[in-house]
Amino acid sequence: MAERSEPVLQVRDLHKSFVLHAIGGRRIEALRGIDLELYPGEHVALVGSSGAGKSTLLKSIYRTYLPDRGEVWLRPDGRDPVDLLSLDERSLAARRVREIGYVSQFLRSEPRRGVLDSVTRAGRRRGLTPDDAAEAARRMLQRLGIGEALWGTFPTLLSGGEKQRVNLAAGIICPPPVLLLDEPISALDPANRDAVLELIAELTDGGTSVLAVFHDLAAIERLADRVIRLDGGRVASVGRPTDILTELTASIGAHR
Amino acid sequence: MTPALQVEGLGKIYGPGGAADVAGTGPDHGRVVSPSSGGVVAAWDVSFSVGAGEALGIIGESGSGKSTVLRCICGDETPTAGSIRLACVDGGGRDLTELGASARRALRIDRLAVVYQDPAEGLDLRLSAGGNVAERLTAAGWRNFGGIRSRAAELMRRTDVPLDRMDDPVKEFSGGMRQRVQLAKALANNPPVVLLDEPTTGLDASVAAAVLDLIRDLLDELGVAAVVVSHDFSVIELLTQRALVMQHGRVVEAGLTDQLLEDPQHPYSQRLVGAARG
Repeated sequence: MAERSEPVLQVRDLHKSFVLHAIGGRRIEALRGIDLELYPGEHVALVGSSGAGKSTLLKSIYRTYLPDRGEVWLRPDGRDPVDLLSLDERSLAARRVREIGYVSQFLRSEPRRGVLDSVTRAGRRRGLTPDDAAEAARRMLQRLGIGEALWGTFPTLLSGGEKQRVNLAAGIICPPPVLLLDEPISALDPANRDAVLELIAELTDGGTSVLAVFHDLAAIERLADRVIRLDGGRVASVGRPTDILTELTASIGAHR
Repeated sequence: MTPALQVEGLGKIYGPGGAADVAGTGPDHGRVVSPSSGGVVAAWDVSFSVGAGEALGIIGESGSGKSTVLRCICGDETPTAGSIRLACVDGGGRDLTELGASARRALRIDRLAVVYQDPAEGLDLRLSAGGNVAERLTAAGWRNFGGIRSRAAELMRRTDVPLDRMDDPVKEFSGGMRQRVQLAKALANNPPVVLLDEPTTGLDASVAAAVLDLIRDLLDELGVAAVVVSHDFSVIELLTQRALVMQHGRVVEAGLTDQLLEDPQHPYSQRLVGAARG
C-alpha cells in the first residue's frame, strides 16, 4: 500500500436520496455527505449495519444510482483526474469498461450465453485479444473451481455459488485499476470462499485498488488495509481492520 | 468526433397547426392532442446522439412517440422540426431533413438500415430470402451473380437462416425466420447506422429470445451505431448501454440503462420499471 501517492479514487461530499413517487414523493436519505479516498493497490472495506449505505455508496460511485450531489474523482494510472459524476453518459460508459468495474452479489451475466463465452467476452471488452481473453477466462474459471464440464452451460442453470463465481470471473478478468465489489462471496461454501479471497488478495498485489462490501468479518481481516464504518449514510470511523472490527462488535453489542 | 447519428430537437406533429400545437400537450398535460387545434404532437424536442459501436434504447408505452422518432430518422415520416445528421453523410455537415425524397431513399441502401417489427415492412414476402438480400445488394451496385449469391449465403449463415431455404419465398417462413431474413437484408451493405423498431415484439418467447441473442451478437461484432425502440425493458437492458424514456411524445428521462432500471428518477419511469419488475 502506498499512502504517499495520489488517491486513485476520491469521493467528496457524496449525497444520495431516493424519491418514491408511488408513495407520495417520499424521500429517503441514503448517503448524507460521504468522503473517502482509495489509494493505488489498496483494499478498503466498507462495514456497517444493513441500511447504513454500503451498497448505495458503491452504486452511487459507479453511477448505477444517480447521486444528488458530490464528486467522485477517478485518477487512473496517474493520468488527470476526472469527476465521474460530471461526465456525459457515453464517456462514463467507456470508463466503466477500462477504468472502473463493479461486481454485484447477484449474477448480472448475460442470459443464454455460455459460461466461458461470457467471461471471454468480458476480457475482450477490456481490450484483450480473442486468444488472450479465452486463455485468461479458462485460467480464471479453473482457479475459481468452475470445471470444464460447465463451460458450455448457460449461467442460469448453475447453482447460486457457481453463478457468483462466474460473475466474479467476468468482473475481475483483466481487472480495471479500480474495482467495486458488492458482497462477492455471500453464496460461497468455505473451500470456494478461500479460492475467491486468494484471487482478490492477488488483485491488490497486482496494483488494482478495491473498495469492497463483505459481511464476513474474517474476510475483511484478511484482505483489508483500511476499514470504513458507515452509519446512517455517514462515515462513522476509519481505521485499521482490528480497531474498526472491535468497535463494530462493540456497537452491535451496545444495540442489544 | 462527429457521432455516427445525431438528432436534435426532432418533432413530428400530425395536423394543421404546426409548432403552435405543442402548447397544452406532453407529460405535464397528460395528452398528445392539442387542445386548441386537435393536432397530434406525436414527438417533440427529441435530441440524442449515438456513436459507432454503441446502442441507444428508446423505451415507453405504445403512443409515447418512440416509433415516430425512428420513422422520422429513417425517412418514413417527414419531421415537423429538428435536424438529423449522419457522420457518413458529408461528415455530419448535412441535415437529412433537407434532402429530397430520392436522396433520402438512397441512404437506406448502405448507410441507414431499419429492422421493423413487422417483417412485411422490410421485406418483399413474395421474393425468396436470397432474393430479398440480392435486391439490397444490386441497389448498391453489385452486378456479379456469383458474388451476390455468395454474399447472400454468408449473410444467411450469419443470421442463422438455413441455407437450403435461401431460395424459398419468405411468405413460407415462420415469424422468427422472417425476422432473421430482415436482419440479413438490413445488414447486407454494412450500414454504419441500424435502427431497430420492436424487433422481437410479437414473436413466441423462445423465438424472440433467439432473435434477441442474434441481434446482440451482431451489435457486438459489427461496431454499428444502433437505436433500439422497445416497450420491453428486458430488450433494452440486453442490447443497450444508454436509453431514453418517452411519454406523451417527450423524452422524460435519459441515462445509462442500468441507472434507468435501478434508480429511475421521473415518476413515469418509476412506474414503468415498477410494472416490469413486479
